Amino acid sequence: MSAGAPQPHAVPQAQDERVLAVSDLRAWYQTRHFGVSREVRAVDGVSLQVARGEIYGLAGESSCGKSTLVKTIARAIRPPLHVVGGTVRFRFAGRERDIYALSQAELARMRWRHLSYILQGSMNVLNPVRRVRQSFVDFAYPHLDQPMPEFLALVEAHLARIRLDPAVLDSYPHALSGGMRQRVTIALASVCRPDFIIADEPTTALDVVVQKDVLGMLRAVQREIRSSMILVTHDIGVHAHVADRIGIMYAGRLVEEGPTRDVLRKARHPYTAHLVASLPRIGDDTPKQSLEGAPPNLADPPPGCRFHPRCPLATDICRKEAPPLIDVAAAHRAACWVTAPPAQHAAPGAAA
Amino acid sequence: MLTVLRDLFRYRFEFRLGAILTGCIVAFAALSFVSPYPPQDQFVVPPDLPPSSPYWFGTTSRGQEVFWQLSFAIRNTMLFGFAVAILSRLIAVAVGLWSGYRGGLADRVLMSLNDTFIVIPLFPLLVLFYFVLRDNMSWPLLALAMASLGWAYDARLIRAVALSLKTREFTQQGVFSGMRASEIVTQEHLPYVLPIVFYTTMNNMTWSIGLEVTLSVLGFTNIDTPTVGVMIYWANQHTALVAGIWWWIAFPVLFVVILFIGLFLLAVAMNEYIDPRSRLARMGGATP
Repeated sequence: MSAGAPQPHAVPQAQDERVLAVSDLRAWYQTRHFGVSREVRAVDGVSLQVARGEIYGLAGESSCGKSTLVKTIARAIRPPLHVVGGTVRFRFAGRERDIYALSQAELARMRWRHLSYILQGSMNVLNPVRRVRQSFVDFAYPHLDQPMPEFLALVEAHLARIRLDPAVLDSYPHALSGGMRQRVTIALASVCRPDFIIADEPTTALDVVVQKDVLGMLRAVQREIRSSMILVTHDIGVHAHVADRIGIMYAGRLVEEGPTRDVLRKARHPYTAHLVASLPRIGDDTPKQSLEGAPPNLADPPPGCRFHPRCPLATDICRKEAPPLIDVAAAHRAACWVTAPPAQHAAPGAAA
Repeated sequence: MLTVLRDLFRYRFEFRLGAILTGCIVAFAALSFVSPYPPQDQFVVPPDLPPSSPYWFGTTSRGQEVFWQLSFAIRNTMLFGFAVAILSRLIAVAVGLWSGYRGGLADRVLMSLNDTFIVIPLFPLLVLFYFVLRDNMSWPLLALAMASLGWAYDARLIRAVALSLKTREFTQQGVFSGMRASEIVTQEHLPYVLPIVFYTTMNNMTWSIGLEVTLSVLGFTNIDTPTVGVMIYWANQHTALVAGIWWWIAFPVLFVVILFIGLFLLAVAMNEYIDPRSRLARMGGATP
């Protein structure tokens, strides 16, 4: 990557601009029933950082731990999901705090004003037997210290700004289309102008036209309130469209991370390479290769690199040791013994 | 709320009919306040007269007017049914929603209690109550006893819905936004289960009034307070049907049936206001 070239996705990387720092986060589903203990390591040692104003895309196939990761980051977890190790530190209003060190009251104060979360299946976030207005009041009103008339005026102004008819407030959710509900949910998540928005599959189940619309709106809202965002979706096309940086997850681990353009153009990890190669391109009618095998069982993950049973490049060291996530270019990290060999391991990796 | 009732009355045939039927019964029960005779007095009119001009519903073998007796009876029976239904709904909704939402230990404790009430045979227990309390057995006491026995099935029903609601996205959103458990249960889940509560209210009233009539007919309640069951009890004591005094039994039964139909229609129509989805289903059903 040439340092001087102007980037379409400019990324502020300065340390003090960092809003979220996740380090070595491990979140496991742990159950103990009738003497049988089970452990599913859905998130196993993930580290990432998100800067102010940045959209961080999280991609990966189903069951790779994307949703578990963002749930853990938002501290929206409940048993059997437990945080086993690592920290999640947010910096809001100039103070950096570990979200797991906050009391319930502090957590409640932080939510919506600083951190909001568009849940997976967000179409169903609205209670089917309450009017949309009541959902706004239930979820957002307690977080803005404003009397009710001012709050409702603010909600209406916010809806108008993102080109939603304030009449939706008087509707029941079933009276709105899927795209409308999705938009209302995004409005609900952004009405308090949070510093950080976590969006888990915000456009899944929408057709591409509505999807583009909703994504455009999400992006516009994010720009307007200058918040940071983690966007989870398995749809690489969406990431290419919206994200500044993307992280690719595989089997509970981050395997590659970097500016969207670099990851898509110069993928280092074999899994990312396959993912990108599977995208359709106009004029390209060669058959797409699918990966052999299935994603690993996270209750019993393979040793070493978790991708090695499906990896065409796998070597001996891949079967024994997990590769570290290391810098391969500026702001571009990958975890692979073969394509991103750490300097000290370069020799054994090459010899095998 | 008043405009809703007005619209329901204007546009919903069921609501109109239900309101008229229930209204007639309530008005009839209200007449008891202007009764010329106290309900316990006997031989105030000539006995055994069939329905005719001065005595519209006839007179009983005890020298009472069926009309005024019945207005007392309907009033007491209706109050009894409402009291049992409201008290037992409070318990059922509280136990069902809380146990379903909380889960864990609270759920296990509440549901063991719940299942205990389900397996207890009610009728022998109520008869036992009567034999223990005898003359102290008033209708409020009986209502309390029935209310505390009549919530268990419906609490299980409501808990089943609450279990499903607990995993819905809007519940998670509520938790995320820092709503307390009590707020989630009352603001998000309660409106959802209200239609069920309405229907079970009807069931419960039918059940409690039916059981009260059964107990009264057998003489296991305070037979000095006129209720529909007590009227039938006295009619049986005087072998009214054998003697051909059919109006002594026919009118109480007829009025209870009208009350049930009226309340049922009201509940059905109200449900459409409370549950927007059934309004939608109705629209779908109406279009050809």
